[in-house]
Amino acid sequence: MKKFFATAFARGLFWQFVGTLLGAGLITGIRAAMGLSVTDKFFFTEPAWVLGGFIGVLFFLGGNGSVSDWFKWARGIDTPEHHEEHYSGWEKYFHVSLDHKVIGIQYTVVALALISIGGLFALIFRTELAASKLQFLTEDLLLFGQNGLQLYNTLMSLHGMIMIVSILLGVAGIINYVVPLLLGAQDMAFPRLNAFSFWVAVPAAVLLLMSLVLGGFDTGWTGYPPLSARAPVGVQMFFLGVFTAGWSSILGALNVIATVIRMRSKGMTAWRMPIFVWAAVATSLIALTATQLIGLSFQLVMFQRLFGMGFFDPAKGGNPVLFQHLFWFYSHPAVYVFVLPGLGVISELLPVFARKPLFGYRWIAMSSLGIALVGFVVWAHHMFTSGMNSYLRLPFMYSTLLVAIPTGVKFFSWVATLWKGKIETPTPMLFVLGGIVVFLMGGLSGPPNATVSTDLHLHDTYFIVGHFHDTIFGGFVFPFFAALYYWFPKATGRRMNEFWGKVHFWMMTPSFFVLTLGMMRIGLLGMRRRIADYDPALGFDTTHLILTIAGYLIGLSVLIFFFNFFNSIKNGEKADGNVWNSRSPEWQVPSPMPMHNYDQPFEVVGEPYDYGLPGSKYVEFSAPAKNTHK
Amino acid sequence: MSHILDKSSAFRQGVVIFVYLAVLTVLEYFVAVTFNAVSILVVVAVIKAALVMYYYMHVYKLNEESGADAHSYSYKTDTNRLGLWLFLLSDSFVFAGLMTARVNLLGLTRPHLNQLLGLAVTAVLLISSFFMNRGETAMAHGDKKGFMTNTIITFLLGLGFLLGVVAVEWPLAAEEGLTASSSATGAIFYMMTGMHAFHVFTGLIFLVVVWNNARKNIYSAEQHWGVEAAAVYWHFVDLVWIFFYPALYLIGKVL
Repeated sequence: MKKFFATAFARGLFWQFVGTLLGAGLITGIRAAMGLSVTDKFFFTEPAWVLGGFIGVLFFLGGNGSVSDWFKWARGIDTPEHHEEHYSGWEKYFHVSLDHKVIGIQYTVVALALISIGGLFALIFRTELAASKLQFLTEDLLLFGQNGLQLYNTLMSLHGMIMIVSILLGVAGIINYVVPLLLGAQDMAFPRLNAFSFWVAVPAAVLLLMSLVLGGFDTGWTGYPPLSARAPVGVQMFFLGVFTAGWSSILGALNVIATVIRMRSKGMTAWRMPIFVWAAVATSLIALTATQLIGLSFQLVMFQRLFGMGFFDPAKGGNPVLFQHLFWFYSHPAVYVFVLPGLGVISELLPVFARKPLFGYRWIAMSSLGIALVGFVVWAHHMFTSGMNSYLRLPFMYSTLLVAIPTGVKFFSWVATLWKGKIETPTPMLFVLGGIVVFLMGGLSGPPNATVSTDLHLHDTYFIVGHFHDTIFGGFVFPFFAALYYWFPKATGRRMNEFWGKVHFWMMTPSFFVLTLGMMRIGLLGMRRRIADYDPALGFDTTHLILTIAGYLIGLSVLIFFFNFFNSIKNGEKADGNVWNSRSPEWQVPSPMPMHNYDQPFEVVGEPYDYGLPGSKYVEFSAPAKNTHK
Repeated sequence: MSHILDKSSAFRQGVVIFVYLAVLTVLEYFVAVTFNAVSILVVVAVIKAALVMYYYMHVYKLNEESGADAHSYSYKTDTNRLGLWLFLLSDSFVFAGLMTARVNLLGLTRPHLNQLLGLAVTAVLLISSFFMNRGETAMAHGDKKGFMTNTIITFLLGLGFLLGVVAVEWPLAAEEGLTASSSATGAIFYMMTGMHAFHVFTGLIFLVVVWNNARKNIYSAEQHWGVEAAAVYWHFVDLVWIFFYPALYLIGKVL
């Protein structure tokens, strides 16, 4: 326990607490000197909480040591190029480490923690929805200064944003761990920036959770003004949390692009990069640029609340629709940030388990970039009903439908890769196949929302909720689990239990189908999203009950996964070789990976996915690797 | 390589580019107060931006290859340069977002501001960019003293710009009734100038850092990435103002 309190994680949280109090106290003092009110419903006033939250983040980063090397550089003190690990075992993951593998695992574990919290929130309001009328989130309930209905709104909104942040961190985790290994690099291009990108996400998550106890907010994750301009103070913590998490995403993406451009091993030309690297670059291009716009849009609302700046206030000549444009300019491409790495994992793993070359490698690589680029010009399809100029509807409808083409390229290639393959189905492959089918459902339910005439009916119904969960489960959750099962032996030297892995898959997949198909059904029949109660006369009670049961089964399957995950770290079957019989360089050396990755550099001498071609080789190590499984 | 000039021609190039920029800035002002053609203002701003990006920020250096030894200073500098430009690309999306908001909210109108004051602060920032270029060029040729002197001048001019906006322009605008909370026009004016001023402020901090490190003899003609980074960032701040200045002071009719 003493060791835990000495970790960078615990110190950071302590300093964040101190910083929050100091920042809030400073504003409170100034307000007292100016004769303004010093306390409010949640003890401090809103400006005090905002500055406190911001200073808290700075104190976290200063206090846990993730920026100390930069301060040394600023004072002209050089630091060693290679950082040595000072801690071992679990402690390593709670301290600031510059090793991309440690950071990848840190990201992944925080992502899993946030997925659990977000999922828990979902189960709470799913339970409330199991029957019409209010059951336990009633008006009499009073928790964190909110009655049951307000709490429902807060939980629903936080479910959205916590999940989004957890997905961003999960994506960053897989990319961080895998990309340098695939490239043959010793680390990321900027290891300190990499550590910073991870650590800044931790206070961001704390801020998001703080919004729950500071009155919550009822805007949904989109935070549209004018509602968000009037919401309780919790919405400010939400804005600040997203703003901070955005920096994690932006700087992480910068690092990935620089790493891929500058640190590929010898012979790895663009067309010989692993396909997952292409996906990581496409994702990073979006995250690097578009993320600024959600930060800006939320910052503008923060300032509107704090200083009365009327950007989105029609009474002052502002324009609420402007917010939606700025917001969706990030938040639509964001879903491609979520799914492109997942689709990359599918393309990466499919040839390994189908024992066949990846069909149309260059087309898949280009389709990732294509989705990323088209993704920049589709944002207003979220706004068909918002009152924007109606002549904008048609171009955005067609640009949105255009996304189906590069996505279709991927599906074509996956099917062609599977065709006549010698398919093996260990757990990672099950999740890959599940991901393909679920993402297909998400893809097919997309065009009705992109088409203006049908979207006017479907907008804000459960059909959208079902569609969205299909795309994100198919594009992120299934491939994420596949990646965890697949690369787990690389990180730990042990593999996860196959039996429990299969239980996880066969429990989650059918429940998930029931959940989203049920959502789409009641959505088509007129069930509105984001509401705590519905008219029993609509006849949705049975469906909602089934949906709730399905939700719990998904939760249970994830619990099984957690049990398997943590149990396998210690007790899993030993697997230090080429477990999946892969051609990829990281599997040609023993697991777990040593501190500075490859002992000998390798050279790329062939195509990455020529499975089943006798005598073909992807990489050649300059000296014989210690462990080559044929 | 063709890009590496000897010291005196590098200085001369800096002067020539500065003259171009100054002439274009005056032309811009003249166009705005006489026949206010938005298209010309946009073209002039783009030309100015291109000049700054090429001759002051040396964007072409992104294309240079300096050997394959991944542990050499020059290889790492190339990687750092790529990282810096990626950051600037990301940062420019903030400013582009603010510009979009300005176009959406104000269209072809602009806030009622003192155009001469705008020209004055713009000139100060432009001159500071010129001295920054001189400072970086001096360091690239191993002239530490020249770097220190020019950086101090840059810092003072930068500080002058910052105070000109925050301590002179803002109170003047507020006196005329344009406050942050008075209208959407006021909001966007303070937000654009404020966001830019924040970047100027961080640029000033970087100048102090590299000046102090140069004092400690950390940089040399071959190894001065810190100086280059601070200079490129400083020019980037100028680059943003090349677009923000006409957007706030020149384009359209006064509200």
